[in-house]
Amino acid sequence: MDTAPENVTKAMEIPMLLEVPVGPQHPALHEPVLLKVYASGERVVRVEVNTGYNHRGIEKLAEKNTFYKDIFLVGRVCGICNTVHANCYVRALEALLDKEPPERAKYLRVLAMELERLHSHMLIEAVMAEILGYDTLFMHIMRDRELIMKAKEILTGARVLADYMMVGGVRRDLNNEKIRRLNEILDKVEPRLNYYMKLFEEDVTIRKRLEGVGVIPPRDIINYGLLGPIARASGLKMDARLQDGYDAYRDVPFRIIVRDDKDSLGRMLLRWEEALNSLEMCRYILKNLPEGEAVPDEKRLSRVFPKGEVFTTVEAPRGELTYYVMSAGGTQPYRVKIRTPSFNNIINSGFVYIDHELADVPVILVSFDPCISCMERVTVIDYRKGTRRKVPIKEVVRGNA
Amino acid sequence: MKSGVLKEVIKNLFSKPATIEYPKEKTIIEPDARGRHYADLQKCIGCSLCMIECPTKAITMEKIPEGYEKPKKNPKGMYPVINYLKCIFCYRCVTMCPTLAYVTTPEYRLATEKPIFSRELSLKTLKGGEGDGRD
Repeated sequence: MDTAPENVTKAMEIPMLLEVPVGPQHPALHEPVLLKVYASGERVVRVEVNTGYNHRGIEKLAEKNTFYKDIFLVGRVCGICNTVHANCYVRALEALLDKEPPERAKYLRVLAMELERLHSHMLIEAVMAEILGYDTLFMHIMRDRELIMKAKEILTGARVLADYMMVGGVRRDLNNEKIRRLNEILDKVEPRLNYYMKLFEEDVTIRKRLEGVGVIPPRDIINYGLLGPIARASGLKMDARLQDGYDAYRDVPFRIIVRDDKDSLGRMLLRWEEALNSLEMCRYILKNLPEGEAVPDEKRLSRVFPKGEVFTTVEAPRGELTYYVMSAGGTQPYRVKIRTPSFNNIINSGFVYIDHELADVPVILVSFDPCISCMERVTVIDYRKGTRRKVPIKEVVRGNA
Repeated sequence: MKSGVLKEVIKNLFSKPATIEYPKEKTIIEPDARGRHYADLQKCIGCSLCMIECPTKAITMEKIPEGYEKPKKNPKGMYPVINYLKCIFCYRCVTMCPTLAYVTTPEYRLATEKPIFSRELSLKTLKGGEGDGRD
């Protein structure tokens, strides 16, 4: 028991560190992840990232299914980037079978993946607008994103889960009418992307909330193994599309967008630039689509796979996605290992929040309500009775402490 | 910049809503979107390949009930029944079918209170068996 200072009968101890659990279910959080934020006053001093709330056992399930059924399983690892998952896995199977898809199929695969990058970037920009408090902007971006979803529906037959990749090609082809409609959609989306990019560049509120927040120097990108747009926004030229040149990425011209801003605003602007670049790529593909067959006869594909192991990478909207597929011969894979870019980017991101204000923790930006956590944290020490007890702050305010 | 936002506000004030009143108004969907599909039993040979290849095991093989005219191509008299609540609409059965027996539709409104199967739709493609009463 503490000794009482002179003429003091009661004291109140408020700890300097505030522990704020954000997630796994939280209004501002769109993914089931728990961020344990420790704050001293308003300053964040430490963030623990806890994951594992969405474990579905997909890698084990992949071992129990056949190689071909797994194409649909891996597409469901993530709804937003399902074609890149399927593409990475299908290319692993093609490497095992020593099979090369036709040129037209390669172009169509890139088209599907770039449409996906477009709508994925638009989604995250919309979510960012929402947590900044810009609900109207969220609605507008989502409305325009719907056009891209329609384009994906025209191309693949479904808005979200495309199931477009197939060993040795793609599952459906494009005709001239569809190409015309896709071009129309791209023409509609382009001015919108330019407008939103300008808005993010010039809007005072957005700049104030994002500029200089969450600065990551290039050294830390390397040290913590961060990938994708995060690395590119810190000035690192890192892109699996360039490194591997898989599918038609060797033929389709594209720019690797690199920015030196290093902060949240830079990352968001980089995504807009990438979306615009993806749109240009889609236009190029629709214009220069090679002639020939793209859809193989699925019934003629080899059921039995030879022994071997393959490691493939693909540039997902969030960074480099890798698949390791091991075959012990037969119809089922021996092991499928998936390493998603978010795994690197989220688990290692704890250091970024440090020394920012609580309101700057990106996922809790606006709707953070600190009263819930701090109300259990007042300790009332009664020196006369020699007791310590915890009292909610609202009781203190009411004069009951 | 401010004039840009103002232009946007005025434009949206006079444009019609971007949303549609589903289900009063039908969603515009592609005619070749992946929706409800069922086997045309005039073409089906009952080989079970779709059942074997289904990634979610949504297809079961059943005997064609009494009263229906059994097609000559289908000596075993078996036909695939799809459980639409299990189906992920990947259309692997459609592409794997050796006789291309699957009929595809863009029908996506499949929300029901009870499990739904392709049984009735498939049996409609056969002659005979009126008043069978199965759902």
